[in-house]
Amino acid sequence: MNSRFINRLGSVLITLAAVCAFALPASAQDDNDHTLQAMQDEMNRSIARLQLDSQQKPYYIQYRICDIDVRAVTASFGTLFSSTHTRDRVMLVDVRVGDNKLDSSDFVSQNGFQGSSSNAGEVGIDRDYNSLRQDLWQATDFAYKGALVDYANKQAFLNSLSRPPEIPDFSPEPALVDVEPLVPADWTSRNWEDEAREASKVLRGFPDLYGTRVHYYIVYTTYYFLNSEGTKLRISHSNAGIEASLDTQATDGMPLHNFYADYSATPSGLPHPADVSKSLVQAAQQLEALRTAPNMEDYEGPVLFDAPAASSLLAQALEPSLSGARPPLSSVPAYDQMIQQEGGSSEWTGRINQRVLPLDVSLIDDPGAKDFQGQPLLGGYAIDDEGVRAERVSVVENGILKNLLMSRRPGPDFMLSNGHGRSALPILSLPTPVSSNLFFQATNTVAPSDLRKKFLDLCRADGQKWCLEIKRMDNPALASQSQQDFSDILSGIAQGLSSGGRLPLLVYRVSVDDGHEELVRGAHINGLNIRAFRTIAGIGSDFSVYNFMQAGAQGFAGTALDTFGSVTDGIPSSIVAPSLLFEDVEVRGYHGEPRRLPLLPIPALP
Amino acid sequence: MKLFRTTYRVWGAAAVIAAASVSFAGTGRLTRQSSSASLPPLLQAMQEELQRSVDAYGKADPPGYFISYTTTDLHAAEVSGSNGALLTSAETRDRVLEVQTRVGSYQLDSTHKIEGREPAWSSPGTEVTLDDDIALLHREIWRETDRQYRAAVQAYIGVQTSNEVQSRSAEQAAPDFSHEEPHVSISRPVDFQLDRTPWEERIRKYTAAFSASPSVINSIATFTASSANQYLVNSDGSRIVFGQIRYRLELFVQGKAPDGMDLQRYANFDWVDPAKAPSDETVMDQVRILTAQIVALEKAPLVEPFAGPTLLTGRAAAVFFHEVLGHRLEGFRQKDVSEGQTFTSKINQQILPDFITVRDDPTTHDVNGQVLLGYYPFDDEGIPSQNVTLVDHGILKNFLMGRSPLVDFPHSNSHGRRQLGFQPIARMGNTIVQSNKTMSNAALRKLFIDEIRKQNKPFGLLIDDIAGGFTFTGRAQPQAFQVQPLIVYKVYPDGRPDEIVRGVNIVGTPLISITKIIATGDTPEVFNGYCGAESGSVPVSAVAPEILISEMEVSKKETSTDTPPILPPPAHDPQSRTKQ
Repeated sequence: MNSRFINRLGSVLITLAAVCAFALPASAQDDNDHTLQAMQDEMNRSIARLQLDSQQKPYYIQYRICDIDVRAVTASFGTLFSSTHTRDRVMLVDVRVGDNKLDSSDFVSQNGFQGSSSNAGEVGIDRDYNSLRQDLWQATDFAYKGALVDYANKQAFLNSLSRPPEIPDFSPEPALVDVEPLVPADWTSRNWEDEAREASKVLRGFPDLYGTRVHYYIVYTTYYFLNSEGTKLRISHSNAGIEASLDTQATDGMPLHNFYADYSATPSGLPHPADVSKSLVQAAQQLEALRTAPNMEDYEGPVLFDAPAASSLLAQALEPSLSGARPPLSSVPAYDQMIQQEGGSSEWTGRINQRVLPLDVSLIDDPGAKDFQGQPLLGGYAIDDEGVRAERVSVVENGILKNLLMSRRPGPDFMLSNGHGRSALPILSLPTPVSSNLFFQATNTVAPSDLRKKFLDLCRADGQKWCLEIKRMDNPALASQSQQDFSDILSGIAQGLSSGGRLPLLVYRVSVDDGHEELVRGAHINGLNIRAFRTIAGIGSDFSVYNFMQAGAQGFAGTALDTFGSVTDGIPSSIVAPSLLFEDVEVRGYHGEPRRLPLLPIPALP
Repeated sequence: MKLFRTTYRVWGAAAVIAAASVSFAGTGRLTRQSSSASLPPLLQAMQEELQRSVDAYGKADPPGYFISYTTTDLHAAEVSGSNGALLTSAETRDRVLEVQTRVGSYQLDSTHKIEGREPAWSSPGTEVTLDDDIALLHREIWRETDRQYRAAVQAYIGVQTSNEVQSRSAEQAAPDFSHEEPHVSISRPVDFQLDRTPWEERIRKYTAAFSASPSVINSIATFTASSANQYLVNSDGSRIVFGQIRYRLELFVQGKAPDGMDLQRYANFDWVDPAKAPSDETVMDQVRILTAQIVALEKAPLVEPFAGPTLLTGRAAAVFFHEVLGHRLEGFRQKDVSEGQTFTSKINQQILPDFITVRDDPTTHDVNGQVLLGYYPFDDEGIPSQNVTLVDHGILKNFLMGRSPLVDFPHSNSHGRRQLGFQPIARMGNTIVQSNKTMSNAALRKLFIDEIRKQNKPFGLLIDDIAGGFTFTGRAQPQAFQVQPLIVYKVYPDGRPDEIVRGVNIVGTPLISITKIIATGDTPEVFNGYCGAESGSVPVSAVAPEILISEMEVSKKETSTDTPPILPPPAHDPQSRTKQ
């Protein structure tokens, strides 16, 4: 809602206010946190004196520290599997040589700097001064030498191109100071072990359920950021979630799973065991129904995505293309191809002012939104991981692409950040643009009942006896109980990763004649890449709020394998979307190897 | 600072299971055992499910002829720190189930190593419930058993095919699995109680003390306490429960020489009785010694290429024997054509001087009051531990054996060991080197000087510390054959003080060196460590006296090429205003 100008003014005002607050001596030492002081002193020393022989000095240094405090409890069928509490602090130092137009960043080569230390690692958790200065000293030295090598390699590579790219490497942004009070971890007085046991016990009543895991996670973080431009942050967050996986086999041996997840910004907001049990029962019942459902046959035709499924689908399909940051340069020949194949490149860069969605559709990313129609949204934040104030971005207006999400890495279309540079825990990878609270809105919508009618009409017109309705999409990051399950899923769909392969979970055949539904299993979707969303046959006036954990990593981008993570390693995000009707989607049945059932009958759980 | 590393929990890649009908001849011995209501619930569940599985898989097509279940109940605590601050302080409890099913026969089964390929170890480890819920334990065991059976069937098909198309060496005619007697031994579980707070203070103190030297770039100290209770049942009829508690304190410090060579020093303390924890003063002494070594190494010259008399202190000799001899006597390596197989055909031949005897003895808890990390009452295949004489007065008598037999060694001698999540193979325990030709260390040093003069060399080498497949637990590197002398002195025959040198690389065949032992000292020294090899990281010890070798050949090691840090450490920077 705010224009860019007002946002910049606002951030300047915040800066002044925070500087004034910080200048009061008492508040800085009260909490016994010497982190920022250690960072500032080592930064000052490095800027003043870090220089190797006659090489160039750094033009930019950035320190990022994150305290991560995690309480994790796992239960299964009413018993405890593990209960842990860990506190860690991670550090990531970035040093750049060159200048904003051309610097040492974002360059992948085979001749990187080899050294015995690192610019990243685990460091002391005491919030003391001395140990952190020592660690920052080592990391800054390593990062600087690495930057010199990378810069030389990058220059050599660019000189070898007949037309080197002219996009700057780093955007200029105003300094921002926001040092907030420390928020101590509060696990509440709730007994999480008892709750996990109690919530998961109800699943014993499902005799065909092979295995389950119910995880309770509470995460408290404090993020520190300091750069050589004067940006200084200390910001605390909390996140809590219950994530569960359930699995079994169909009578013909096909592995089946389901999942449940519920998130809250604070642990006190997590549902109580009775409510968790209800949701788990629902997931178990769906799984039982899948067990006896028939295998679906290959299908091509109209598909109706109910709002909950549509929102998950959109999150997967849109995510990689929302980023306007230029991908890393590389002198490794296969690198670009690899990124492309894994679906990691944006399909929307270079298409500003072109139509990318139906003409009545808008797509907005709003980090300032707190809730939608009474339902809380998880993706909000004020300042991104690079110290840039988060802005509301109108990505698509009436079908036309207007903006992309930006970090401080410019892209072909935009030069400035709009405060979307973030990275996921626990490893502080370099921040990349990811969505916060995404709103998919249309003006030309129809009531769900009318949408359904249109669906059946299209179906009939297509000469089909029945068509597919998808009520829930899969989330393998949560539904896989073990590495083996995850590998199985991977091998099943690896080919479709970059070409719009999607994994639905609850798929129904709907009869054209009388509208009756029949659950089917084994489906996977092909070719529903972002281009398919230019033409949507019908959009509902309903909506679903989907809060999820967004994985920030590269690789498998654009699929359920990459988009979704867990509360321990994902970025809280949300998407609000309506039901969507597509006229022509390819949905394939399961063509994998038949699986054997276990030799012995499943032991009962009284 | 501690660099990021992947946790060492190996789940392995999934095996794609394909149905196949295999004709099978011969059966294993799958015995019935009576269940006992007085067993610990965990053991009871394992026993009952084993019975069910034996009945079913024994009749399957192809049959599983052997099944074993091992559940390890782990309680671990870790307190670690770096550069004066705490890195971690946490406790965890886990229960891990490992299921082994063998398909085929004792002669040829699913574990047979196919030529040129790594064995298809499927993931033998899975977490199970911490609560003693018998029904759920049944469920978890049932699931994993079927998984492992399917994987074994898959592996067996590959083995059979390969067996037909590949030629076989004599040793490969040996069976894949040995027949062993069952054993029953149920001990009470063990556990530790720990207040981590005093250790947090100590860890901070030790690493802060390292930072007091400007030559130290980084330091890490780690205290761990672990209690592992192992429950094993198998289709031979074995039922074994035993537990072990271990405590360890590790110190690690890093510096860098002006030419870029990384300097690393390391020390460890191991104990099993909490009352025997090292005192603060003992540890601080070690901190001072390690720091002094870093400082000395920083200034030390690189070694020049050299061949001549070499004295190894007891600890260095212990590691040396472990690396150079011990690994080569592991039974499974004698079957594998891709291994050196140096000793495969040398049973009853002289391989060492006749005054040297080498045993591997996991039955011993300690030597001269020093704890031996390689003690265990049963190996990881359920065989009661045995004292094995490997080399008797220089003559090779035995290999270290697990249940993978050799043609002339049809049985295990209780050395089948593994890190949690790996399949057991023959590993060392407590490798003890004894000598009949001993003298005091002082006399040995005199003999050393004499030898230097006799050979007309300008100096000899004294090796005080060696790195090898031994590493500290946080950085297990499974490279068993690397032998890297870390603390080396030039010893002059004219009475000059010993001079530390760096960058020493042992060249030539280390095996030749141990045949050139002239004499030994009379005081056994103990080295405790974690040895990494194909079945993961296992706790071991090596014991040896000082050894004098008539000739060892060394050269200069390649050095790392990154320069030392540009700025001095913050706490030692005269130009920088720092806090205390």
